[in-house]
Amino acid sequence: MRPTSLIAVIITLLIALICQLFPWVGQGVILRPDFMLVVMLYWLLRAPNLCNVGTAWIAGILVDLATGSLLGQHALSFTLTAYMGLSYQRRLVLFNPWQLAGYVFGLLMFERLLMLFLKLFEGNSFPGWSYFLPVFSGLLLWHLMIILFGALTRPKH
Amino acid sequence: MLKGVHQKLEPQQTPAFFVRGASPFSRMVFFCALSIIMMATDARLNYLSQVRQGFIAALHPLEMIAKAPSNWVRDVNRYFSAHNQLVQENYALKQQAFEHQVRLQRLSTIEAENTHLRSLLNGDIPIQPKAILGEISHTGRDPFSLVVVVNRGSQHNVKAGQAVADSKGVIGQITRVFPFSSEVTLITDKELSIPIQIERNQLRAIAFGEGNNTLDIPYLPANVDIKVGDKLVTSGIDGVYPAGLAVAKVTKILQNPESPFAKIISTPVAEVSNHLQLLILELPQAKEAALPVAAPTAAEASVITKPAAAKPISNSQAPNTPIPTTIIPAPKKPAFNNSAPMNKAKPNAPN
Repeated sequence: MRPTSLIAVIITLLIALICQLFPWVGQGVILRPDFMLVVMLYWLLRAPNLCNVGTAWIAGILVDLATGSLLGQHALSFTLTAYMGLSYQRRLVLFNPWQLAGYVFGLLMFERLLMLFLKLFEGNSFPGWSYFLPVFSGLLLWHLMIILFGALTRPKH
Repeated sequence: MLKGVHQKLEPQQTPAFFVRGASPFSRMVFFCALSIIMMATDARLNYLSQVRQGFIAALHPLEMIAKAPSNWVRDVNRYFSAHNQLVQENYALKQQAFEHQVRLQRLSTIEAENTHLRSLLNGDIPIQPKAILGEISHTGRDPFSLVVVVNRGSQHNVKAGQAVADSKGVIGQITRVFPFSSEVTLITDKELSIPIQIERNQLRAIAFGEGNNTLDIPYLPANVDIKVGDKLVTSGIDGVYPAGLAVAKVTKILQNPESPFAKIISTPVAEVSNHLQLLILELPQAKEAALPVAAPTAAEASVITKPAAAKPISNSQAPNTPIPTTIIPAPKKPAFNNSAPMNKAKPNAPN
């Protein structure tokens, strides 16, 4: 694994925020991945000394402010997802890439479900199955992160 | 005594292999508590709206960066768009402007006549709402609420509660104002309701958003005189939407023999997704709200059976800009030219 730095973490999170602010129109809104969540999860699993539950919370607050939802909703879901991710973080080296992708899929799905739960609690109705599409586009973004910043699993010999 | 030392040592945990500071669990509990406190504060008290406004203003440069590529693409497209097409468009627009001019001439004479008649009858003279031209910068980022964001904010004198319309009809209402942008909740959003009138028989009612691009008119009896294809226009009794703006068209009426009410579904006529420009209409002046409010007639009282929901969306985000919720007596002869307030509107020069 290549060494990581705090600057890389901050810059990628900032780029993710800009992507989140990108003016999405038409079908893009449904397919758009949760940029902040995927980037945050990557650094969380890669370098928990640089990006921890607190970083996840800050990322969530930024997403809340950017999307205009109730302040603290994304922060709560990101915090819980980060905790779930950290609980297996030390064992990830033993995973093969497919298992890791499955693990990330589970985490993204967990976040979506949590967000759905919070929104339903707030009095919204179920927005339809397309609500879960960002999980799949998020997986694509995850692979882009791995290509750009290096794999989390052991390289094959 | 050695035994005692041993007992003290035994419950100790093994030291963490890596030094990680506080355990993830304690961090998670702390930050979850913090988020729940923030959610409660944001939902119940209005302390955080200032924080949000400040943050959105600070985010404005970032948003400009994010928008830059799509703006470039648009500019390049415009640059290369065929000359022929521009000429055609110019011709069509000129023709349209001419037609509008002719209609406007007739309208101004009718309006003068109307004002004169009203002054003879000692009625109040209808005000001409001013408007600000805005452009949709993007749709809402939250999949649960139907909002669009407009590039006009408190710097351009936009206030929460103002009605927003396009050339076809009402789009919605401003719900949140930031320094350089503002959020428009569409009339189809579940939280928005709009007082309407059937154009054909002037029946007053209140339409509620359904959340899926349709409007619902509840609490009307099954034998109510509404047909598929009826046009709904704003009634103007709320003090927010000027009277006579087109809202929606009735598309379906479901009769359930078990229910005393008809289920009337209508679709909005405004085309939010087709173009970018829209008009932010000014709120009616306080002068009108101060006029003696006539006691609502029996018909009005029976229609407004859901006062809490009938009130236009409360501007909980901006407590310093109250929305006038006084019910203003509807004009006896509402002008049913849908474009009347639109044509008279003098938009500020865009950009």
